[in-house]
Amino acid sequence: MRTFVTNCMQLSSMYSRGQKAFGRSRRGLMACGLTCALLTLLAGCGKPEFTHREEFSKLEPYAQEYIHEVLNQHFGTPTEMVVWERLPLKKHLSTGTVTKVAETELTLELSEPHQEITPGTEILWNSGPLKGKPSGWIRSWDHDTHIATLETKLKEMPEEGTQVIVGPGQVLVRGRHLYAVHCQHCHGVSGDGNGPTAEYLNPLPRDYRQGIFKFTLTQAQERASRVDLARTIEDGIPGTYMPSFKLLTPDESESIIEYVLWLAMRGETEYQLVRFLTEDYSKASVLDRVKSGVEKKKAGEEDYETYASIREEFITAVNDPEDMPMELDSIVELIVSRWTTAQEPEAVVAPQENRVAYDARSIAHGRQLYMSNDLNCVACHGDAGYGDGPQTYSITKDLETGKENEQPGLYDAWGKPVQPRNLHTGIYRGGRRPIDLYARVHAGIKGTPMPAFGAKLKDQDIWDIVNFIYSVPFETEQAGSGMQKAQEPAASEEEVAVK
Amino acid sequence: MKWFWCVFFAFWPIVAVAVCAIAPSVGWWLPGEAASPLGRRIDDLFYLILVITAITFIGTQMGLAYVLFTGARRTDPDVTEKTWFSHGSHELEVIWSTVPALVLLFIALYQLNVWAEYRVKDAFPKKDMEAVLTRLRQVRTDRDSVALAEVTARQFEWRIRYPGFDAQGNLLPLMQDPQPTDLYAVNDLHLPANAPVMINLKTQDVQHSFFLPELRVKQDAVPGLVIPIWFEAEQQRSYALLCAELCGWGHYKMKAQFVAESEAGFLNYLRTLHSAQNYDGVHQKIEDEE
Repeated sequence: MRTFVTNCMQLSSMYSRGQKAFGRSRRGLMACGLTCALLTLLAGCGKPEFTHREEFSKLEPYAQEYIHEVLNQHFGTPTEMVVWERLPLKKHLSTGTVTKVAETELTLELSEPHQEITPGTEILWNSGPLKGKPSGWIRSWDHDTHIATLETKLKEMPEEGTQVIVGPGQVLVRGRHLYAVHCQHCHGVSGDGNGPTAEYLNPLPRDYRQGIFKFTLTQAQERASRVDLARTIEDGIPGTYMPSFKLLTPDESESIIEYVLWLAMRGETEYQLVRFLTEDYSKASVLDRVKSGVEKKKAGEEDYETYASIREEFITAVNDPEDMPMELDSIVELIVSRWTTAQEPEAVVAPQENRVAYDARSIAHGRQLYMSNDLNCVACHGDAGYGDGPQTYSITKDLETGKENEQPGLYDAWGKPVQPRNLHTGIYRGGRRPIDLYARVHAGIKGTPMPAFGAKLKDQDIWDIVNFIYSVPFETEQAGSGMQKAQEPAASEEEVAVK
Repeated sequence: MKWFWCVFFAFWPIVAVAVCAIAPSVGWWLPGEAASPLGRRIDDLFYLILVITAITFIGTQMGLAYVLFTGARRTDPDVTEKTWFSHGSHELEVIWSTVPALVLLFIALYQLNVWAEYRVKDAFPKKDMEAVLTRLRQVRTDRDSVALAEVTARQFEWRIRYPGFDAQGNLLPLMQDPQPTDLYAVNDLHLPANAPVMINLKTQDVQHSFFLPELRVKQDAVPGLVIPIWFEAEQQRSYALLCAELCGWGHYKMKAQFVAESEAGFLNYLRTLHSAQNYDGVHQKIEDEE
């Protein structure tokens, strides 16, 4: 991936040099053709930039500028990332202390486990007299003796016991490079699920920017855990275009996960800020406010709003540490705490009782529950499990606002139509282990109309439903057949007459 | 100028031969030594054909150079030598029709055994394959498939279905349709080494190609067909498994591994899959409490 990035850079510098030469000396067709060829090569090879949400453009320009600035300040751009210490991510290769200093060799005690330390890694001094002074750079790292040989002898060597950060932000940088190679063409630079190949896909790639991931083993109200993301990367999502990336090393997979989480946190910060500001500072609501201001002015009131006053009010709010900064702080705090708690062991769906035996009794009870009015699985998945229940052609309500959707069918949190799973295919997107199906029933599928039944059902009941789901692809008889004997057709009049 | 063109056209075949000659030493050659007996025989065929085509190539290029240079010489102003008009020569026509025909016939007959063993199901080493299944203690009848896995290509990964175990822990045969006991994996094909083993190849969407470069195995996966392939890895290690048919924008992503291991190792692998696939989330809790 490094070559990809450097190629682009070389190309762009070649391009600018070529242009100058072209302007100066008019080398005719040859240079023109070359420039054209380079331009073609460069198409789509520009510097990657984060894009904003659609609703962002509906805000007043000053509100847009504020959000843009906030994101730039705390997250930076894809090529110049800002590592915000506040985010609960594994950002650095490792942290530790210097235990021994000799010539250019430092013995380090590092936090374990840590990612591979490669030549050229930075050592940032985090305490002692060297704090804030230029960093050291590792020439070679001995994994067994924990001795780092530095590129050059430092003017001032660190004291023993100096706290160090090895490879500051390097995990995210590695993640970004890998993301650019493997993920970006579908999931997009900003994680909006709108990369160049996304338009060919159905279902669409995940948009991370609400912080919602569908297939997790965490409780219904929790975010995804790192384990969930790792499993998705390793096994892929059958039935969708997400392939398995089994051959990635654990380090590579970890780096990608941290970068994806970083994108999710960045995206959610933007999402929440836009949502918060839309109420008062969207172009539409400002227009309303100004209109009512004009009314008030006409009515002779002194206290009325104009464009200028609303803008003034916004700027005051931004500069008042008790106002917008506080609001931003609570938004970020919520995001941080959600992602932190999702990593706790308590967040994981944990059945108390073992899976019950896969037998006729359990399957029959599972089917009964599936058909019951209480759970109403059939409303979406259909009475025969083909994913064709009445909800798929009814007007449903929006998951978030609760308003009725304009078009019939089911919609997810991203506003896209979704199909309830056809249980006959034997394809299980979130994994086929019993615990995966248990978690789907217990905690639902995040961001979709699939509700969590954990509070309603006992473990045994959920296991019965799981067993029933397992049995559906192997059903040989049509649903309903064999339930009751077909009645003999009533004898016709002629037959009666013959008798 | 005419001598320039003579040298120019004579130069490139020499470059081509020279590049071919140094190719193996700079790593522009086959993907390593063939890692299977059949692979070696395929390599032998490859080299045989390479020798024949090399002789043909050098011969025809020398003929071309000869014609170029003599033809160019004859256009010199003071040369009276006449051109030899060969068109319609019966002897020549007979020679260059029969010689290639004989060569092709020889190749066609000579490769029959390898082709049949590689491709024709009746010529597969069925006995050896069944011996492996017996050693794995598979519960089987003669009518059951000898395939040990079903590999399904799809954009852009390899999904693998193995037969599972019965209630007594014995390996079951692979059935044509999925069974509740089946075991599933993705991008990670495990099979026993040092014996011929067979897989069934399918595709879920477009055409793909199952390619084990080190074993010299390449077979297209065609929609609607179940294609049996067999191979025998000689070393217990992992090999590259690639897609060799441009199958879409993510073609380059279809990289997997094929791990050849001992028969016990293979059974162990299936058992690990079995317990992972039946994990109900309760086990771990008990461990944590301990």
